[in-house]
Amino acid sequence: MMPSHFFYLLPEIWVGALALLILLLDLRWKGRGHTKLGLMAAIGLLPVLPLLCMQRQLDTLELLHGMYRIDSAALLFKGIFIITSLLVILMTREISKTPAAAQQAHGEFYLLILSATLGMMFVASAADFLMLFIALELITISFYVMTAYLKTDLRSLEAGIKYLILGSIASACFLYGVAFVYGSSGSIRFVEIRQFLQETPFSAGCLFGLFLILGGILFKTAGVPFQLWTPDVYEGAPTSVTAFLSVGSKSAGFLVALRVFHELFISSSADWAPVLVWVAGLTILYGNLGAIPQKNIKRLLGYSSIGHAGYLLIGLACPSSLGSTAMVFYLAGYLVTNLAVFLVVTVFSSHTGSDEIKNYAGLSKRSPLLAMVMFIALLSLAGVPPLAGFIGKFMLLLGALSQGHLTLAIIGAVAVVISLYYYLIVVKVMYVDRAEDSSPVPVSLPMRLALLFCLLGILGIGIWQEPFLSLSFAAVKGLF
Amino acid sequence: MSPVTAALLFPFAGAILLLAIPENRTDIVRRVAAIFTFFPLAIAVTLFFLYDHARGGYQWLQKIPWIPSIGVHFQVGLDGINMVLLLLHAICGFTGVLISYRIQERVKEYYIFYLLLIGGVSGVFVSLDLFFFYLFYEMAVIPMFPLIGIWGSGDKLYATMKLTLYLTAGAVLALVGLLLVYLISGIWSFDLIELQRYLSQNPIPAHIQTFLFPFLLVGFGVIAPMWPFHSWSPIGHAAAPSAVSMLHAGVLMKLGSYAILRIGIQLLPEGAYAWMPLVAGLCTMNIIYGGFVAMAQKDVKFIIGYSSSSHMGYVLLGLACLNPVSLNGAVMLMFAHGIMTSLAFATVGHIYDQTHTRVISEWGGLSKRVPFIASMFAIAALASSGLPGFGNFVAELLVFFGSWDVYRWPSLAAVFGIVITAFYMLRAVRTGFFGPMNPRWVHLEDAHTPFERLPYVILVAALVLVGCWPGPLLNMIGGSIETILDHLAPLRSVARL
Repeated sequence: MMPSHFFYLLPEIWVGALALLILLLDLRWKGRGHTKLGLMAAIGLLPVLPLLCMQRQLDTLELLHGMYRIDSAALLFKGIFIITSLLVILMTREISKTPAAAQQAHGEFYLLILSATLGMMFVASAADFLMLFIALELITISFYVMTAYLKTDLRSLEAGIKYLILGSIASACFLYGVAFVYGSSGSIRFVEIRQFLQETPFSAGCLFGLFLILGGILFKTAGVPFQLWTPDVYEGAPTSVTAFLSVGSKSAGFLVALRVFHELFISSSADWAPVLVWVAGLTILYGNLGAIPQKNIKRLLGYSSIGHAGYLLIGLACPSSLGSTAMVFYLAGYLVTNLAVFLVVTVFSSHTGSDEIKNYAGLSKRSPLLAMVMFIALLSLAGVPPLAGFIGKFMLLLGALSQGHLTLAIIGAVAVVISLYYYLIVVKVMYVDRAEDSSPVPVSLPMRLALLFCLLGILGIGIWQEPFLSLSFAAVKGLF
Repeated sequence: MSPVTAALLFPFAGAILLLAIPENRTDIVRRVAAIFTFFPLAIAVTLFFLYDHARGGYQWLQKIPWIPSIGVHFQVGLDGINMVLLLLHAICGFTGVLISYRIQERVKEYYIFYLLLIGGVSGVFVSLDLFFFYLFYEMAVIPMFPLIGIWGSGDKLYATMKLTLYLTAGAVLALVGLLLVYLISGIWSFDLIELQRYLSQNPIPAHIQTFLFPFLLVGFGVIAPMWPFHSWSPIGHAAAPSAVSMLHAGVLMKLGSYAILRIGIQLLPEGAYAWMPLVAGLCTMNIIYGGFVAMAQKDVKFIIGYSSSSHMGYVLLGLACLNPVSLNGAVMLMFAHGIMTSLAFATVGHIYDQTHTRVISEWGGLSKRVPFIASMFAIAALASSGLPGFGNFVAELLVFFGSWDVYRWPSLAAVFGIVITAFYMLRAVRTGFFGPMNPRWVHLEDAHTPFERLPYVILVAALVLVGCWPGPLLNMIGGSIETILDHLAPLRSVARL
């Protein structure tokens, strides 16, 4: 291996080594040092970010005999995954400090977060279907364990089993689709498949394979008709895992979608775009309507994450650089916003032990900081300016209309109103209702920093959009 | 930096500054809020007199490229129309802060949301870029939710949710329309001036304009509030705390008619010609139906609330005519009605805070205890019924002059609406403030100190000034209306007149 190749693989090697180090230290400390391990994992991830910045370049770089590649989309998404997993590690550390969780907490949990992160990084750089599938499995298997981690909690076990069974089916579906694509095009390498499709505009085998792959992707990203697992798993899984599922796993799914649809199959977009338009519209409606009657904040966020998957699918349904730019931008905004919400949920539930929305009553008095972050983050999720979520939705609607999907744009616009309704109910509970228990909710220093980071992200992306927009544009430019 | 940008940034700066002030120092909080709303008022008044009529057009323009890749610019500037509305907003915002001294609960949060609301509304008025226009528009809607939900009265949670959802629904519909205009124009620019110049030379085909116009009309019509989308407004007015009702009825509702004029009519003139007869019909419903419903109300705030939605019917009628006289009247009525209705809500708030009832039949004879407030309410009632000497009279007269030849029957109905207004407003004055004194209210306190009287004095002065001396205001509006109509002129010869 050439030294330059080693440099480009360094982030992955670093994360892998970090995971192994955590495993060894956990064995050595016999499972007692989990808060220390959490801090180590979080700090250990930090150097990866400047490393990724140093790798920035204009051209696509192929490594490992064309199995692996570094391009701007891969780098941007690796950055997204690292930030997500950093915040998720901090959340996990917060949860494991509560007395109830302390007995079950093990250092190996951080190992699982890191291995899932490593899988996501592989997904970002995979250049053939085999690598992609292995990377996806690495993510999924880590998540099987993590969702079922609270061994004494029945809901967590139920969530784990559900995710395991449905996830396996989705993986099989994905692999079956890959087999069809391979059968028709004779290759598993992205470059060759793309070339084959440009020469053969319509290939029934490839298209059939594509739709099977779509099934697998929709499972990962919680899109209709493979969304049913979402609310149950979100409710049952430990909160940090829910956050990781809703941001990390979803971004990975959309990255795969972007690669498969906008890079490989762009030449047959006329065949798949109409299907995606329907899927996007139905996903938006399902998620947003389903969220209305929810009483549990994690279930609510489960449904709302289905709704957001629908918005992201709008970007996918627009085979143009505007559509994919909007999608990447929306993901970046969604990342900081949704993680802000989950940080608040984590702090609140590890202090009070409850995820019921009605228990958030009087949060504005109990902790003005938490209430304010939650308020701003929920508004951003709903798409209120000048926050991150607004400009994402704005770009997506622009993308949909530029492709002539007026009905889809109107569904997207109306869903903003629906989502505002259920988010504002939470705001009402926090700000208007009186608390039964008015003791203050303390926020630890790492959580404060994390909340501040997300808040700055929400406002920064929302007000000074240009740098983030050009970053997303640069990321998708290589696809077409 | 353009003074317009400064006027826009003051409220936001104030809100940020308030975050840093401890919650229990309410005296400082109130002072900061007053200062940061006074400066925009001072700027608005100064600019009003500095506006160069000879040059006309947009002045104090400032343009900063914001998102160059899709053609978004932060652009602000004032012409005669938004100058008048900015002035109205500055007056209502400042007097609203003064009125709010009676708010005692969670003072700091209240002023933060209030300043954000003021900033959002100013942004809509001064923005000359569709992106920022929409951004500020939606930003102005959201602070209403906590303002009404926390500090409101009556069925406040229902009211605030209904208001937020209605206005957001209108906003997103309008957004789809704005994006379509942007895409169809094909010049990749949200810059309103540039779009306007381009579209007046290369108009969008008539049938597409006719298709697009309803998005903007209904979207912005919700906040106007155009019948049948008005039902959020009286409930919202009634539930809101006084200062918010003032801003809400006085200024927020004008955003809708301003947007229809500025964006709908200016960018899609042929669409406007196609749909305006329908607007004339709907606004008749506003006037007559709103008036009759106001007549049946027992709660004073509901009376004023329905009367507001009824009066906004005159503004819409003025817009529907698309001729200089009535458009002048419409813009002037936005100003006069804003001041008048703020005055009415302020007086009602003063009494409600002490009586805790707004049912008019339970008041009675209040003028003996609160002569100053009673006379203020009477002035508002008389102005609202179109008494000469107040701004409303001049404005309504202009609307009627303009509409008589265009829409005969709606005009007749609108004139009849004035009789209805006079009936319920004067009846409210009689039942509430005159007649035998209800012994429950002997402890009622009037506005005694000059500080307490100041907001009322400002409002009445503005109302009387534009009523007796409408010249400067009409000059200001007229110049800009002409520019809009110049774009329409080639069409008008074809269309109707």
